[in-house]
Amino acid sequence: MVIPCSGIGKVHGLIGREATYRVTDGLAYDKTATLCLALLVKGDPEAVEAVQRHRCITIDGCAKACAQKNVEMSGGRVAKAIQVAEAFRNFRGARPGTATALTEDGWKISEAIAQSVHCEAAELLGVEGTVR
Amino acid sequence: MNADATKVGIISCSGEALAGGTISRLATRRVLELLRPDRTVTLCLPLFLAGNEGERNFARTHPTITVDGCEKQCAKWGTETHSGPVSIALVVPEILGHAAEGCIRSTKALTQDDTEAVWAVAERIAAAVDTVLASATSAGAESTPVGAGKAQCACSSPLPGASLSIGGKTVEIPGLPLIFAHFAERAAKADGSPAAALLALVRIYHPVPPAEQDAYKDALLAEYQRFAGMQAAK
Repeated sequence: MVIPCSGIGKVHGLIGREATYRVTDGLAYDKTATLCLALLVKGDPEAVEAVQRHRCITIDGCAKACAQKNVEMSGGRVAKAIQVAEAFRNFRGARPGTATALTEDGWKISEAIAQSVHCEAAELLGVEGTVR
Repeated sequence: MNADATKVGIISCSGEALAGGTISRLATRRVLELLRPDRTVTLCLPLFLAGNEGERNFARTHPTITVDGCEKQCAKWGTETHSGPVSIALVVPEILGHAAEGCIRSTKALTQDDTEAVWAVAERIAAAVDTVLASATSAGAESTPVGAGKAQCACSSPLPGASLSIGGKTVEIPGLPLIFAHFAERAAKADGSPAAALLALVRIYHPVPPAEQDAYKDALLAEYQRFAGMQAAK
């Protein structure tokens, strides 16, 4: 499971969200999925079961780490916790856009995170090279 | 209620797994940035669990509207369970009906359906904000002058606007270029006077005194023609 935070105040939240779609709808569409973080907040049984049954990669936009914490509070297994801000280190001076829309720089950062998640997912699945 | 009592909190479910979540998120952003920038604030829903006491008090210190992307209403449930009562609960499919079916999750390739859906939901949220504010005012809540505060959320700021000369006064209309872009998308479907249609659209976002409607029409039409000319030249 790839689970981004629901960050709505900063561009970081949108970058994580789009990186998730890049993985679950593209790079590894047949090996990964996402779910609504709000469902975990609600305690939805299916969502709770999903994070408990599958290894999770969380993508958080800020240090409050809502995605990671909510998965952990639901008894889920966070195999990798990614912070969007970390990815910015490789894009110094980038102007990524806003919480509403990404610029070209923002899409590049999102793609870098997606590639990282893709590699991590392949490693977790133990079938490196088979995740497209 | 604190000094921000007349700022309405908007909590979007932002559901990552479905298009309705993306619409709820984008529509909420549009209200924060454009429609009611001085009257609204937001918070990430999961912070009710992951955050501190101040964040969990959000709905006890602001009249709150929730915007959910599906009938599970996680934002409403989460807000009422972990924070405080909700004034109005909106659900995207109830607003859009079947119009939401063609929408997508990613913002990378938003379609015309997505764009229209976001506008429709944003306008409904703005109307709900007005209802809540009217109720708060009639209940004697302290009023904050429009424009007195610019804080909507951690890093949000209103969209750039435009200044028009109307009846000898300079009037600032936040987000006017975006409103014009939206009008241009709708113009092909519109019948009747473009100036009247333009005024009707701007009035959703900006108060227009009845006595100044004709002056607004003239100024808006002239500014829109200038905007359209610039767009055509790009």
